[in-house]
Formats: sequence, structure tokens, C-alpha cells
Amino acid sequence: MNRIFNSSDFPFVRLSKFLDIDSVEYNPSFRNEENIGYFKRKQSKAVLEEFWKSSDFVEFLKEVTGLTLSFRGAKHLSYSAGDYSLLHADELEPNRLAIVYDFTKKWRLEWGGYDLYTSPDKEPLICNRDYGSLMIVKLDKGDLSCTRYVSLKAKEDAVIDFVTYIPE
Amino acid sequence: MRNTEKIPKIVKEPYPHVVVKDFLDEQTLDLVTYALAGLEYDFDESDLFSYLSFGLTDVDHPVINILRDDLGDSSWRKKVASSFGVKPLSKIDLSAYVYGLGSFLLPHDDQVEGRVIAYSLHLTDIEMTDKSGGALCIYEANEVGKSELVKTIIPEYNSLIMFEVSDKSWHQVGEILEDIQRLTVTGWYHS
Repeated sequence: MNRIFNSSDFPFVRLSKFLDIDSVEYNPSFRNEENIGYFKRKQSKAVLEEFWKSSDFVEFLKEVTGLTLSFRGAKHLSYSAGDYSLLHADELEPNRLAIVYDFTKKWRLEWGGYDLYTSPDKEPLICNRDYGSLMIVKLDKGDLSCTRYVSLKAKEDAVIDFVTYIPE
Repeated sequence: MRNTEKIPKIVKEPYPHVVVKDFLDEQTLDLVTYALAGLEYDFDESDLFSYLSFGLTDVDHPVINILRDDLGDSSWRKKVASSFGVKPLSKIDLSAYVYGLGSFLLPHDDQVEGRVIAYSLHLTDIEMTDKSGGALCIYEANEVGKSELVKTIIPEYNSLIMFEVSDKSWHQVGEILEDIQRLTVTGWYHS
């Protein structure tokens, strides 16, 4: 898996049906979060925060990426119709491993809401919503990411656990 | 030619803006609409927007030259500067934009060095409603970036919307929700 991970401009791997998601207790307590011109969405504590912090999962990430990692943070994000985040870098931790675990049900491509990773010198990477899939992507200094605008026609919300790890 | 030489009283809140109705005379309007319909637009897409556009600033075309004068000749620039109470305006730039179904422009403040007044001449020759989408949404934002929608301007054919560019001039073009083509000529008056 490590060879797959390192085979593109953005080192990444995406694993579908990663967990038994239907058995996960899902009751996030959202609050609105907005910084106009940057993002508009809802946020709560990561649904699987303890799992993302667990030594078993960090060890799994080491096998996939070849990196020794430390947990930095996790949150649960919800993008409803009209919500967005614009391309941004992480000023504090430019080199990081981002994890996106997708809780989004019944999504349609024309609603947008996909994750985009881009950089001036790299092929953009688009990650469409896919219920239960785990995205692991390594981002370096200058790399940008966003969750694209969700159409006003969307009938569902794009919901994810977003987790960050720092290479040691 | 311009149909009007008068700019209504500027609305001050949440930032200075105004709508000039019936901006072009009928003959110019027809010629401009016809000329813009014949352009080959580029599809532009980013995290912030999705639309078709065509840069007109340096285009040498008889009708576009008339339009450029109507929007940006010395006499009109003086009126715009005087109405908004800003320093003299030296020039304009302009582009044509077509927003079709699903197109949008997310909230932004337009701030780029040299831009003083933003304008948008609306040329969609069908009646738009709030159900069509494509309204200009004007926001007021507090110091931590939380916004409130304070005004929605549904584009009217042949109306010129102008507003002063500042760190307060948050606005967006709402997503187009019906199968229409929202056509504008948009740009900025520069210092």
C-alpha cells in the first residue's frame, strides 16, 4: 500500500468501506462556523475522535504512508446547501497528513461539495463524496485544499471527520 | 449612448452602492446585446466561482468601443466619482460574464489595488426573479467574519449596479437555479 500511496503528485490512498460505518453512533452536536470569504459550514467534535487518536490507527497510518506521525487534531464538519470552504493552506503545519472519513449519504455529483487538493506544481486531486470511505493524503508546504461549494439544490449535507497528523 | 446622465442618491449601508436603471438607450442596448451574443466565452471555474467570461478591456470592436465610452468616458467617471465622494477615477476595465444553470460567485470583497468602484451592467433580457437565482447579495460582516445578508438585488435588464470597493464590500452572485443565461458586463473604475 505504501507504493500506491507514493505514486502520484499528492501522495494519497483512498479506502472504501473502511469501517462498519452503519454501526457508528452518529449524533454530532453542531455549531455554525463562518469566516466570510474563507468558509461557511457547521462543526462539531469528531465523531470518531478516540479512534483517530488510537495507537492502532496511528500504526496503520505508518504502514500506509511510511511516516511516523503524531495526532494534531480532529473535527466533524458539515457542509449544507450554500456552504463552502475556499482553497487554503495550513500556516502552522504546512507539512501534514490529512484524513477525511466520509459520513455523506446519497450524494449526487452535481451538488459539488467535493474535496479538492491543489498546488501550482502538482496535478489537482479531486475526491468526490463516498459514504464510508477513508481518504489519506499527504500535503506539503504550498499545497492547498478546500471543500467545494455545495449547490443550493443539494438535498443532503456533506459530512466528514477531518483529521490531521504531523510527521515527526 | 447613455440613456441617462443621472445617478440616484447613493445608498450608504452596509457600504455605498447604487442602481442606475435604463442605463443605455434602446439602440445601443440592442447592438451591445447582439455583439455580446456573438462572443466565444471561456469557461472559468475555481473554488470561488463558476461562469463563462470574455475580457473586453482591450477589444477593438465598434459596439464594444461605444459601450466602453458609455461606461467609462471622462464625463461619466466624474459623475461616478462625485456621487460616491471618491478621488478622480482614471479608467475602467470590463469583461462580459454569462452565468448559466449552476453558476455562482461566492462571497468576496473585490479588493485589489487600484479598484475604487465596482460596476455591473445587467443585460439579461428576461425577467429574473428570486427563484431564478443570480441575485447580487450584499452582506455585512463583523470583525470575526460572521456575515448577515442585508440586501438582495435581483438584476433588471439595462440596470447598472455600482458599489464602492473596501474591506466592507462583501457580496456574492447567487447560484443560478433555472435554465437562464445571466449576462452582464462587469468591471471596476480605477483610481
